[in-house]
Amino acid sequence: MSDHDPTGSPLRALRFTLNGDAAAVDVDPRETLFDTLRERLRLTGTKGACLEGECGSCTVLLDGAPVTACLVTSLQVEGRAVVTVEGLAQGAQLSALQAAFVRAGAVQCGYCTPGLLVAATALLRDNPSPNVDDVRRGLAGNLCRCTGYTKIIDAVLDAARTTQDESGVGERAAGARA
Amino acid sequence: MINIGRSVERGDVIGKVTGETRYGGDLQGPEVLTATVIRAPHPHARVHGLELEAARAVPGVVAVLGRDDIRGSNRHGLIKRDHPVFCDDRVRYLGDAVGLVVATSPEAARAGRDATVVLYEPLPVVATMADAVAEGAPALHDFGNVLATQLIRKGDAERALAEADAVVTCVFKTQGVDHAFLDLEAGYAEMDGDVITIHAAGQWVHEERRLIALALGVPMERVRIVQPPTGGAFGGREDISIQIYLGLAALTLGRPVRMQYTREESMVARHKRHPMEIEYTLGAMADGTFTAAKVLIRSDEGAYASTGPAVLRKAVSHCTGPYRVPNVMADGVALFTNNCPTGAMRGFGACQLAIAYEGTVLAMAHKLGLDVVELKRKNLLRDGDAVTTAQVIPVASAHDCLEAALTRFGWEGRRTDAPAAHLRRGYGVSTFCFGIGYGDGYPDASRGRVRFADDGVLEVYSGGVEVGQGLHSLLAQIAGEEFGIASGDVRVIASDTHTTPESGSSSATRQTVFSGNAVKLAAGEVHRQVLDAAAVMLGLHWEDLAIHGDRVVGVHDTSVMAPLAYVLRGARERGFALDATSVYKPRTVAPTDESGRSPRAFLTYAFGAHVAEVLVDVETGEVRVQRIVAAHDVGKAINPREVAGQIEGGVVQGLGMALMEEVVTRQGRIANASFTDYIIPTILDVPRIEAVIVERPDLEGPYGARGIGEPPLIGAVPAILAAISDAIGQPVHETPATAERVWRILRSAAPAVALSGS
Repeated sequence: MSDHDPTGSPLRALRFTLNGDAAAVDVDPRETLFDTLRERLRLTGTKGACLEGECGSCTVLLDGAPVTACLVTSLQVEGRAVVTVEGLAQGAQLSALQAAFVRAGAVQCGYCTPGLLVAATALLRDNPSPNVDDVRRGLAGNLCRCTGYTKIIDAVLDAARTTQDESGVGERAAGARA
Repeated sequence: MINIGRSVERGDVIGKVTGETRYGGDLQGPEVLTATVIRAPHPHARVHGLELEAARAVPGVVAVLGRDDIRGSNRHGLIKRDHPVFCDDRVRYLGDAVGLVVATSPEAARAGRDATVVLYEPLPVVATMADAVAEGAPALHDFGNVLATQLIRKGDAERALAEADAVVTCVFKTQGVDHAFLDLEAGYAEMDGDVITIHAAGQWVHEERRLIALALGVPMERVRIVQPPTGGAFGGREDISIQIYLGLAALTLGRPVRMQYTREESMVARHKRHPMEIEYTLGAMADGTFTAAKVLIRSDEGAYASTGPAVLRKAVSHCTGPYRVPNVMADGVALFTNNCPTGAMRGFGACQLAIAYEGTVLAMAHKLGLDVVELKRKNLLRDGDAVTTAQVIPVASAHDCLEAALTRFGWEGRRTDAPAAHLRRGYGVSTFCFGIGYGDGYPDASRGRVRFADDGVLEVYSGGVEVGQGLHSLLAQIAGEEFGIASGDVRVIASDTHTTPESGSSSATRQTVFSGNAVKLAAGEVHRQVLDAAAVMLGLHWEDLAIHGDRVVGVHDTSVMAPLAYVLRGARERGFALDATSVYKPRTVAPTDESGRSPRAFLTYAFGAHVAEVLVDVETGEVRVQRIVAAHDVGKAINPREVAGQIEGGVVQGLGMALMEEVVTRQGRIANASFTDYIIPTILDVPRIEAVIVERPDLEGPYGARGIGEPPLIGAVPAILAAISDAIGQPVHETPATAERVWRILRSAAPAVALSGS
């Protein structure tokens, strides 16, 4: 990247946790997390359709919170934990959300899908039993140009149901809160 | 059926949810260079030269290429080949390309671009269609500013209008729209021996190969296009974008090169939907029977032709939509301006006209005091009626779609109350049609190859590109169906000019019918080849054998049975070819005389009907879409879930066009070339889209299927506009119906006292 950058700055060492593993990489201090992930670490699952924080395609989790990687400078993640779409599946086992997106037909061109899956992962973690409006609010920062969003909402609601059916967590948690 | 009519899982979906799928911008290579385009900052200027020394001196800059580095025609364009790769002595829109900087990093490429000095002499700007036809307007091309004209003459419209009981005239103005696919133009090219190999997303790889070879002056065999997974297209990848630049850089420098537009560059450089001005006059008898239409269309072509003549023809040929109108007089003209070029986008001229005919039909209903649904029922085409081009339509299913949509919506029981004093509830209904394929005699063919590979896997080869719509999965369904093989077990090899047959573009709502048929024909031939082999192996006549599921069985002698896998193995051992390529190339007919009419302008027509419900805030003009029911006759839904997905997505793009999306251009300069300023629908802006699939089998398509890409957008816009009109009691004839526009309509129509406090 900046090897030949005429205005390049000296690279700085960056250490953080990426998808559960320790990561170390030298970065330009002005560089965004988006570029570090894609260009230096070659994790291209994180997409970018605007690079100004409007489309949500580059959504990743930073210490669990969804952020747009295009608006985070890489040095901000020093010592912190980043999860990208590549970190959602357990090996060949899709996450409940990924499986639900497949079942529902929530994927057409697929370019918005990684950002949506990451945002929805945070949404379901914070609210395991969302209603339609919760899902809309939780995904309001992610543009999709193909699906019309209908099947995306279906998929998130389906994943919430599936997860609770399998673990019984929903009812127990509700009971515990009561 | 094992595949057809089933919502099978798409073959590309797992990589898309895990992030493993590599799109054009995800491709990398060793020692890869980066290219970036030098673009004109003026909408119209003479170019007096480029000073490149400063750019070449930027560290990391490898080359600055211009028109002198191109050995071919230096032109591209889908119809007229009028768009310079690099401008000669004149730039015609802001964003026109004058050169290419290639460097060792994106930063260096941008620095080199910014260091390039281009000597421009600004020229008067043709900013509007009125400017284009004004006395003394600068001619933007050698032949002037009129790109194309189109007309239809049927009966005697002037006389019929004079004799009509009721006549209404409405004027419509539609906007420029950006495709806004999320996957920005991005790709990678390298030399493979003397073959330029370009990995970049288009909509028709074989046509792109032709355009690149001609523009660069290299033989077609030396250009290979491989389409990577693609993040949306919607017509926006029909015109060539980065492919020629990538090819030129790889060819000239002999090194791998990649490039990627920014969102701003994508919006400034790429063609848009044609803004149109339409004056629509409709005549009817007192009982509502339509007697005549007179339609005048002006289309803003921007700087270059692109697909403009075809878009204009589609607009004119669809000017009366799904209605019986015995006398028609339609005239369209496409005018060059110094705006961003306009070209293909989902709806392709038919959607602008649907806004016009549906708006005018609504006005006629008001004029006659008739219910608009009843007016539609009276005038919609019936099976065997002819559309305006004179083509007889065997399955004219607008009626079926209308009744299906109204029933699903619960039209009779719709409520008229409003949840608050400042809100008004409104309902709108649209009916529409769309001709499938290029039409009008233009060569239109798909080829498909089907074979059993050496490992026994059924393979499909298609040049047709996957841009998100699910084509490749659909072709696997069709090929597999012929052998009882599940689509997930079929291997698809596609969209590579060196290994797959030409299958035309993924556009014009054509691939389901065209490539679907080609693959079905090829699979049928391989089916016969398998039976030939089985006949030899089993000592029977092939006509006495059939494939049932995973076995070959006797038709009459039920004791005969051999596993299909056994027959395939034996066939290979005996040297039988299990491999066939077929072509589907139906005939359409160009207009045969000066009337502009044709007995078969399009292969087939798709019909649909939408019902929309909105709430309008009469204080702010803000519109909220509450419900949309979208009924489409797709003939046969080969994959119902994916068909519903096309309907839902198309409706929401239509919602964007109806309410918010507008390329704002002032003096040739786009004022909102970013996702911050160009607003597309978010998940908060749309209701649950209710897709209703109607299946009246098509006479041409595979298994009766018809295609669904474009119609959903076409229906959504007029349905929403009609609902707004119903809510506010005023016509809405300009798009998009932003809060400001609706508020202005309310304010101009309302008596002054209606605005409290003013």
